[in-house]
Amino acid sequence: MKILEMNHIKKSFGDKVVLKDINVSVSEGEVVSILGPSGSGKSTLLRCATFLEHIDSGEILYSGKSVVTTDGGKAVYPARSELHQAQSNFGLVFQNFNLFPHFSVMKNIVDAPIVIQKRDKEEVYQEARELLRKVGLEDKENAYPCELSGGQQQRVAIARALAMNPKMLYFDEPTSALDPEITAEILRVLKSLAAEKMTMAIVTHEIDFARAVSDRVIFMDEGLVVEEGTPEDVIDNPRNDRTREFLQKLHV
Amino acid sequence: MKFLKKKLLIVAVFILIAAGINGNICEAKGRTFVVGFDAEFPPYGYLDENGEYVGFDLSLAEEVCKRRGWEFVKRPIAWDSKDSELETGAISCIWNGFTMNGRETEYTWSTPYVDNSQVVVVRTDSGIESLSDLAGKILVVQSDSAALAALEGDDATDENKALAKSLKNLQQVADYNSAFMNLESGMVDAIAMDIGVASYQLESRNGEFKLLDQHISSEQYGIGFKLGDTELRDQVQVTLFEMLSDGTFAKIAKEWGLTDSVCLSTEDTQYIDGGAVPVTDADIANVQSESVSDGTPKAVKLDFVGVMKQLISGLGSTFLIFVLTLLFSMPLGLLLAAVRMSKLKVLQWIAKIYISIMRGTPLMLQLLVVFFSPYYLFNVQTSYSYRFYAVIIGFSLNYAAYFAEIYRSGIQSIPIGQWEAARVMGYSRKTTFFRIIFPQMVKRIMPPVTNEVITLVKDTSLAFALAYTEMFTLAKQIAASQASLFPLFVAGLFYYIFNFIVAFIMDNIEKKLDYYR
Ligand SMILES: Nc1ncnc2c1ncn2[C@@H]1O[C@H](COP(=O)(O)OP(=O)(O)OP(=O)(O)O)[C@@H](O)[C@H]1O
Ligand SMILES: [Mg+2]
Repeated sequence: MKILEMNHIKKSFGDKVVLKDINVSVSEGEVVSILGPSGSGKSTLLRCATFLEHIDSGEILYSGKSVVTTDGGKAVYPARSELHQAQSNFGLVFQNFNLFPHFSVMKNIVDAPIVIQKRDKEEVYQEARELLRKVGLEDKENAYPCELSGGQQQRVAIARALAMNPKMLYFDEPTSALDPEITAEILRVLKSLAAEKMTMAIVTHEIDFARAVSDRVIFMDEGLVVEEGTPEDVIDNPRNDRTREFLQKLHV
Repeated sequence: MKFLKKKLLIVAVFILIAAGINGNICEAKGRTFVVGFDAEFPPYGYLDENGEYVGFDLSLAEEVCKRRGWEFVKRPIAWDSKDSELETGAISCIWNGFTMNGRETEYTWSTPYVDNSQVVVVRTDSGIESLSDLAGKILVVQSDSAALAALEGDDATDENKALAKSLKNLQQVADYNSAFMNLESGMVDAIAMDIGVASYQLESRNGEFKLLDQHISSEQYGIGFKLGDTELRDQVQVTLFEMLSDGTFAKIAKEWGLTDSVCLSTEDTQYIDGGAVPVTDADIANVQSESVSDGTPKAVKLDFVGVMKQLISGLGSTFLIFVLTLLFSMPLGLLLAAVRMSKLKVLQWIAKIYISIMRGTPLMLQLLVVFFSPYYLFNVQTSYSYRFYAVIIGFSLNYAAYFAEIYRSGIQSIPIGQWEAARVMGYSRKTTFFRIIFPQMVKRIMPPVTNEVITLVKDTSLAFALAYTEMFTLAKQIAASQASLFPLFVAGLFYYIFNFIVAFIMDNIEKKLDYYR
């Protein structure tokens, strides 16, 4: 079953066309990596999928249910309540974490489930402790974000996203704000999530990681999906010139 | 936290209602006779060492009220606003060593009761002996005073105009106490003022100053009523004549050391506007009052404790202005900031213009506008308690503009990622603002807010523009009756201590918020 389906997505900023007729989908249990050179529109794609940006035209479906449609060449967004409903399908982990600095680690994780989802406090706290153990921060629940390293903060951000019990997670370059040594600890967490069959769409420059965890790789360039397939196909045997060029540069 | 805010609000509302009720009770009983006077004008009207408004004019007015069965209200006013005060009906008359000459047609006058000359005060060692010695010197007068009119007014004599021309400079000050400070320190060479006030001042300042023998002009004091209010004027006049004939008037004049100056006479059978002066009034019961108020004509020097005791009553008002202004302007500022950042261009502009006016014009002017606009714009008569509301409204409207800009910069300094992270997790805009953005904003704006709060403590003194007697107004009045700068320094010390405490509290709040970065 497909969790996300994006059809014929077009998006411009002023005169600049950033997404030109993009078709992407993510199925349950699948790990999809999105690769591509800087400025190719990867972040914009994630921001459109998470409703942080409005598309100009196209169609977005979550769990088979149409959310954004196009009427007369213009995207039509639903009422707030319906958008909220769709939002509960996913979580998003940012490149620069965006933790709430005035909340403790624990509060960062439990606030939305308690305040927004109105779930039982006890249950949420228990689940949050489990999540913290999973990302290796069980001793940090009372710390504040400013007292944590970048890698630790990103692990809290992942726990925070998971606490909402989403069907899938988006990651926008989750390691590129971190030192190379610390990158590994995040990738380890992502790998363990992949092993648990968590559905994920990850924008990344970590080719080896993408090859190791992805079920499918999407290569984007200049607002287009230029190649798509298994990691073996796209990363090891790229057919498209631009993909080849991009991978060569990375390997150098 | 929430409860505390609610409680504070309730307390504020109670204080306001209490202030309102207070004022209403005063105005409810019978006829109220409200005497407007400049509380820095001894011996006619000033603040004595017991913290009470006393003076020759006030004693006279009190006696008139007693005989008439009116309720007597002493209302210190800002001299510059005296016409608006009279016109709006906030006061019944101006009775305060009020010179008639040059203002004959501007008020409805009683007959003159004091013959007063405009004289020149100089330092004893200045070498100035006559008016001609003033050439090339600096002379100071109170703004809008009789002395100023005598020197530069439309009706000034040619000699006086020539005298004014010969001066190096004719300066104006707001009150006589600062005039004497200027003279004492040598910044000016002479003061032109009423002889009664001059004598009082000279007596309080042993031998430093002297009067020139030549007088600038001879003038008379009358009671000024609103133009056309002849009924009230006649009633007061008749009672004054009564007091004159039974000797009470002379007795009061003697108490205030003004026996040589008074000139009230039943031989005046015509007012200056040509009307006939009534001599008796059948309507009033002829109550003979045996005791007259026992005013003290000479200033008793207050020590530090005495000054402090008097100032403390003003400190309460200062504190009230401070607290209520913060209580109203801080939330109002938030609302204003929201409008300022609204998506609607029209709203944005309204807020922008409002903020620019509030920040671009003097707060004192805004206070005057708030106080007088109900009358001038809507012809609504305001009660005395409105004076207090006007101060709070004026301050709150002004400070809201400053807070709005502080909030706006604070809100805009918070990374957009905070909004986005919250949005993706399903927080509504409102919840995001109050749960995520607002607390972070508070921490960021603490330094500018502290600045603003400290400025507010000092700005409370601007309430003097509406003659609301907070600490600084009081300090100026005490300074005038004591003929000394000292009370102002004590007030300064109070402000410093007040701000020291404010800074300490703000510092503590800042430290409390230091648990995160
Ligand atoms: N809010 C915006 N306004 C205008 N232009 C934008 C905006 N956001 C993105 N762009 C432009 O859209 C293009 C695609 O940007 P995007 O951030 O999606 O690229 P990316 O593939 O994520 O690149 P990177 O690997 O550097 O993160 C870029 O040229 C960028 O300048
Ligand atoms: Mg990007």
